[in-house]
Amino acid sequence: MGRFLLRRLLHGIIVLWVVATATFGLLRALPGGPFDRDRRLPPEVMANIEAKYHLDETLLKQYVRYVAGILRGDLGPSYKYIDRNVADIILDTLPTSTVLGLLALLSALACSFPLGVAAASHHNRWIDRLCVFLATVGISLPNFVLGAVLIWIFSLQLGWFQAARWGAPGSAVLPAITLGAMPCAQLTYLLRSSLLETLGEDFIRTARAKGVSESLVLFKHAARNSLIPVLTLLGPLLAILVAGSFVVEYVFAIPGMGRFFITAVTDRDYPLIMGVTLVYTAILVCANLLVDVLYSVVDPRMRSR
Amino acid sequence: MTSALRKHGRWLVPLFLFAIFSGCNPSSGRRDETVFRVNLSTEPPSLDWSLATDHVSFNVIANLMVGLTEFDKNLKPVPVIAKSWDILEGGKKIVFHLRDDVAWSDGKKVRAHDFEYSWKRLLNPKTASEYAYSLFDIVGAEEFNRGTIADESQVGVKAIDDSTLEVLLKSPTSYFLSLTTFEVTYPQRRDVVEKFGSQWTEPEHIVTNGPFLLASWKHENEIQLKANPNYFLGKPAIERVEMYMINETTTALTMYEQGQLDFIDDHSIPALEKPRLAKAPGFKHVPQLRGEYYGFAMDRKPFDDPRVRKAFAMAIDRSVFPRLLQGGQAPSSSWIPPGMLAHNPKIGVPYNPPEARRLLREAGYPDGKGFPQVTFVYNTREDHKTAAEAVQGMWKRNLGVLVRLENLEWKVYLKRLQNDPPHVFRAGWGADYPDPDNFMKLFITGSGNNHPRYKNGRFDQLVEQAARELNEQKRVRVYNEAQKLLCEVDIPIVPLFTIAESTVLNPRYTGLEYNSMSRLLLRDVRLKNK
Repeated sequence: MGRFLLRRLLHGIIVLWVVATATFGLLRALPGGPFDRDRRLPPEVMANIEAKYHLDETLLKQYVRYVAGILRGDLGPSYKYIDRNVADIILDTLPTSTVLGLLALLSALACSFPLGVAAASHHNRWIDRLCVFLATVGISLPNFVLGAVLIWIFSLQLGWFQAARWGAPGSAVLPAITLGAMPCAQLTYLLRSSLLETLGEDFIRTARAKGVSESLVLFKHAARNSLIPVLTLLGPLLAILVAGSFVVEYVFAIPGMGRFFITAVTDRDYPLIMGVTLVYTAILVCANLLVDVLYSVVDPRMRSR
Repeated sequence: MTSALRKHGRWLVPLFLFAIFSGCNPSSGRRDETVFRVNLSTEPPSLDWSLATDHVSFNVIANLMVGLTEFDKNLKPVPVIAKSWDILEGGKKIVFHLRDDVAWSDGKKVRAHDFEYSWKRLLNPKTASEYAYSLFDIVGAEEFNRGTIADESQVGVKAIDDSTLEVLLKSPTSYFLSLTTFEVTYPQRRDVVEKFGSQWTEPEHIVTNGPFLLASWKHENEIQLKANPNYFLGKPAIERVEMYMINETTTALTMYEQGQLDFIDDHSIPALEKPRLAKAPGFKHVPQLRGEYYGFAMDRKPFDDPRVRKAFAMAIDRSVFPRLLQGGQAPSSSWIPPGMLAHNPKIGVPYNPPEARRLLREAGYPDGKGFPQVTFVYNTREDHKTAAEAVQGMWKRNLGVLVRLENLEWKVYLKRLQNDPPHVFRAGWGADYPDPDNFMKLFITGSGNNHPRYKNGRFDQLVEQAARELNEQKRVRVYNEAQKLLCEVDIPIVPLFTIAESTVLNPRYTGLEYNSMSRLLLRDVRLKNK
């Protein structure tokens, strides 16, 4: 297990380096620089700005400076948020994104588990069809549409929640539901089909033949064996939910990290884009590692592989 | 685990729902009348007025600080910290006399030295301020910023004593007093800036002198201001201001309609909602000193022919824009916007399709026949697209020419304008200070913002002459001549309209000033019945 973890960790570091290098190269290839404005700056003013941010150096020098900065834990200054460092911005905003992502994951799990089990245990009956319908809606509806619909119903019409203002009572409800809807639908589908497959296996028939009650068959024997594909999805889902919530953060004005991803690209704020990308990558690497560890807990056969 | 789930599962869903729904009614709390809530839309990139460049930052700074002068209702600079000024040596020297009752938020007196420090900090190459160039009319300023002189005492700004500031200009500069209204020229405290470095604008460090104080700044979330009890022009009626950062217009509008915001502007109103909101109490269109134009690449065929440019200008019916765009746009054929000295609506090329067709025929393209493929580029935005499609239709209908439209992402578009201007492009310009120089200098030869690459020595000479002329009537005459060259004779650009901002103020309040340069000024806001 120790060697396995070490190997995965090394892989993770290589992935981070490749992503950092690729992002650096791609950003410099994009047309338009961070200080291009609709009112073009006089050359001397531009030269001062470029000198301040070392943009007057060669690309290689900038790259070396950037990688050395990462190794020191310094992600550089933001070009847009002039008085702040990228690391400060990420430290300020990542906890909010994490809370939102975890709430969304919890709501997705809380809804998908009963829906998936109900659908599989009532296969081809109206409950199954209803669950599949709900899951289809959850997958097809983009979260910016769902967010807007929820704001219209629950904020504007019913007045139950504020449309924004993270931190106010109940402020997490609509964003968590919006962000959790698609993962909930995916998990429901997956759990349903996985359960259906497991319920058709020999050991389930044996259990039923031995007179084990249907609920015990479902929750003890079938559910545990059906969790492995769900776990496979859980790793990337966790990473996507924590890091990929930028649309939801934008719609509900949540002070999370995702909001920066869109605006930083538009502003060509190189250090901020690279910092946010690296954090996303690190989260994805960690989530996948966590899933691998969980695999071996759920299915001990995995440990020997 | 499964048995526990089985045993308690039935309680999990209601428990979860209770946990997330508890305390959720947003309108149950009692409204605090002393708090005024506005939406900034985004996090201000900087509250350091030497480094700020955007309207969000300036909207916060404008409520925290005052400078030497401010605009009156007619956009004329009037004294604030400066109680008077003397213009000497034919306009090459200005001496400001400062009030002695203006205090910083920590109780110290605002001194002329604070202006000298701030202006020299703005110009210092190490500060790398984008707006350093706004003081380039001062003796030695440009050289200091470029690094050719290192001694800042050679820059022509000096505090003679605590209440006298002397400014030496390279030549008489008619708009210089307007520049002193601009936030980047506000005073700063050397001791505070040097002690806290880039953190000096955080609430626990910043010192200010305006109507409000910076009470808190939760980054990306909320800024709170509180009334400054020692503000030298009197404490504001509103005790506290909450400034939110809600980027999504639909969300912001919902917040206003829920009663969670007291004022919203264009950045909080979806375009499609404007016609509905126009009927709401408290709605206003506030005309801005910002013009929209289409430019021609004058060094590219077929737009190197003035007859073609004039034909294209004459084929545009500007009257459709207010109806199409629904934002209070005011059609304009001249370039200097209404509300500014030398605005002259009589200048410009009117809508005249028969004359446009005649000119195009004369240029060798009867009914558009043989006209080469040309591209019209605009940056991605719904209203730009709407306007571009409408004009494309007019050119097709009136000239028989089908122009290809191309939209580009903002920074890509800017790069294209700078390096390889397309045949036709859209652009806009907003005032930093309300003087025609700000608009006319754009098109002098060699200006970095002269995207049509217009070159006319007479035009350059007129713009320079107007900048140095201190007599207003004479300036107007000179600008009239220059505008005729720009909009009637050479036509590197076709001015289309000036824009307006849609704003909605909760009708319970009054006294809010949203000026023609998108500044949100809150010091006179109060409840209507108080």
